[in-house]
Amino acid sequence: MNKEKLFQIVSRIFDISESEINYNSSPETIEKWDSFNGYILLDEIENEFEVKFSLDEILEIKNIGDFKLLLEKQGISFIDGK
Amino acid sequence: MMKEEKLSYYLNKAKIIEPNSNEKEIKIAILGSFTLNGLAEVLQVKCAELNTKLVSYVGKYNQYNQEILNSKSHLYQFNPDITFLLLDTRSILGDTYYFPYNASVSERKKIIDEKFLELEHLISYFKQTSKSKLIITNFNIPVYSPYGIYENKIEFNLKKMVMELNTKLEDIIQKENSTFLFDFDGFIRKFGEAHVFNYRQYFFGDIKVGIDYLPHLGHELMGYVKPVLGLSKKCIVVDLDNTLWGGVIGEDGFNGIKLGPYTQGRPFLELQKILLALNKRGIILAINSKNNYDDAIHVIREHPYMLIKEENFASTRINWEDKISNIQEIANELNIGLDSIVYLDDDPINRELMKASLPQILTVDLSRDPSEYGQCITDLNDFNLLQITEDDIKRSKMYNEEQQRKEFKKNIPDLENFLQKMNIKVLIKNGDNFTIPRISQLTLKTNQFNLTTKRYQEEEIKNMVNDKKFLVECAQVSDKFGDNGITGVCIVKKNDKEWNIDSFLLSCRIIGRGVEEGILGHILEQAKKEGVSKVVGQYIQTKKNEPCKDFYQKYGFEKDGEYWSFNLKNTIKIPNHLKMSVK
Repeated sequence: MNKEKLFQIVSRIFDISESEINYNSSPETIEKWDSFNGYILLDEIENEFEVKFSLDEILEIKNIGDFKLLLEKQGISFIDGK
Repeated sequence: MMKEEKLSYYLNKAKIIEPNSNEKEIKIAILGSFTLNGLAEVLQVKCAELNTKLVSYVGKYNQYNQEILNSKSHLYQFNPDITFLLLDTRSILGDTYYFPYNASVSERKKIIDEKFLELEHLISYFKQTSKSKLIITNFNIPVYSPYGIYENKIEFNLKKMVMELNTKLEDIIQKENSTFLFDFDGFIRKFGEAHVFNYRQYFFGDIKVGIDYLPHLGHELMGYVKPVLGLSKKCIVVDLDNTLWGGVIGEDGFNGIKLGPYTQGRPFLELQKILLALNKRGIILAINSKNNYDDAIHVIREHPYMLIKEENFASTRINWEDKISNIQEIANELNIGLDSIVYLDDDPINRELMKASLPQILTVDLSRDPSEYGQCITDLNDFNLLQITEDDIKRSKMYNEEQQRKEFKKNIPDLENFLQKMNIKVLIKNGDNFTIPRISQLTLKTNQFNLTTKRYQEEEIKNMVNDKKFLVECAQVSDKFGDNGITGVCIVKKNDKEWNIDSFLLSCRIIGRGVEEGILGHILEQAKKEGVSKVVGQYIQTKKNEPCKDFYQKYGFEKDGEYWSFNLKNTIKIPNHLKMSVK
């Protein structure tokens, strides 16, 4: 499941448990999410999902939900059961 | 390409390093003209793998000028052992990088001269203000030019400008002590600019070494950290079948093994070239192979493409004993620590066994494909020395002479008699410009016969040489088989009443010939001459310096609390088989 996959990456990069993560998680709620770690997260997500985002897109990312939207734009489905 | 972990591995690993599990500590400052986030974590993990705690200071983004040119800055308060100054061509050239030909040839030359003067000033200010070793990058040579293929026709073109700056930088680095160059241009050539430099990361956060390449950058920088920590490797022990040549001599026979300038023999010939070049630089070679001695030695002596000759191997174990005890014997015979050995073997089972039994040894994960053997060796950053002295280069020859000495000793059973016939000469020299680099190197590298194991950088030795309160001496030892070079060091802290032996060490290759007593006796005689009443010294135990544990006691020192003390009214002994002289 892609939601699980996404949250697992977030959990690994920021060293927090998956239960603490939701689509509204952002630099305000995750202490370790600074600009550099944010980039590391982005890089991992791109590698794991085999996609590439543009500079404009990455500068717009405000929370985990934004990653979901960007992934959906590239044809990755977040509908349950897939 | 060489194996490296991803940056995220290092970032996670850095969080879980046990704070007190490390034996050593090193302070590293990182300054740069671009974003270097993550580099400190990479170095931290790599240092922890060497049982070393890294305390790091990362300068504020692109503020290296302000930090270096202000003697009260955080950088100097931090007081680093090593400082890396990492600069890139884009930052230093500014708009000139994009529009070099807005300026005329003479203006372009002036630009480079000015940039160089700025750097020279930075370096000299830093050297005056800090004891730290300074490692400064050179500049990556641009590959793109708006002039395209015509660029090379232009006088003093952009590439040439950067090359010129690099040459000038290299010139001052060659003159300056304890300042070193990191070949950043070489780093980018090794991995390729198109890989290392990622535009999106550059725009996102002024990242000029992409995050996938930061671990590689860390690996390269560790090449400077290891010798400062005294962790350079001295010896490569090799297996034979499928390592130095292709095939198994016992099965394929002399004419069946692969070694030579044709397809399948080339990887092995290449590896031999690389190993021989290291040997000529002073890295000792030894053999540890399960084979019939006669079969294997026949190849080594007679094979037309066997580049590494019998005399290049300082120690040879070709037998059916287990490889673990063989390698321990090799270490004993060569008088080197297991932790200064690199082991090459094509067999993964042998390698796992070696790693499990003797983890101090660096067992190289040789690739399954022999065509990658060479790179497995050239990727190692473990043979670096900050100072390569004459003694290093002569080392291989000296070990050969040592072999002859051992043969000689076998024929003369009585030790006393043996030492008499060895014709050992000890020449005592004072610390001076010629001997300081070697003295420092010996304090950094010597583990076994080292009474206090105090490590001193060149600058520190120099300060002691210039300080009247210190006596810094070294000993050059030779015998009938040849010159061992400078192999003993003694540093004494003097005052009117007593002398305190701060450091006393002997290179392992001359232990057991009475030289240590000769040097100590010489120190005691000098103390007596200057009217001092006693000389004291300490034995500070480490994991490795067992061989000198009883040195002071045996010589006739008496226990005096933490110290050993010698009353100068007692007789000073110097073994009579030594010919002592002072330069």
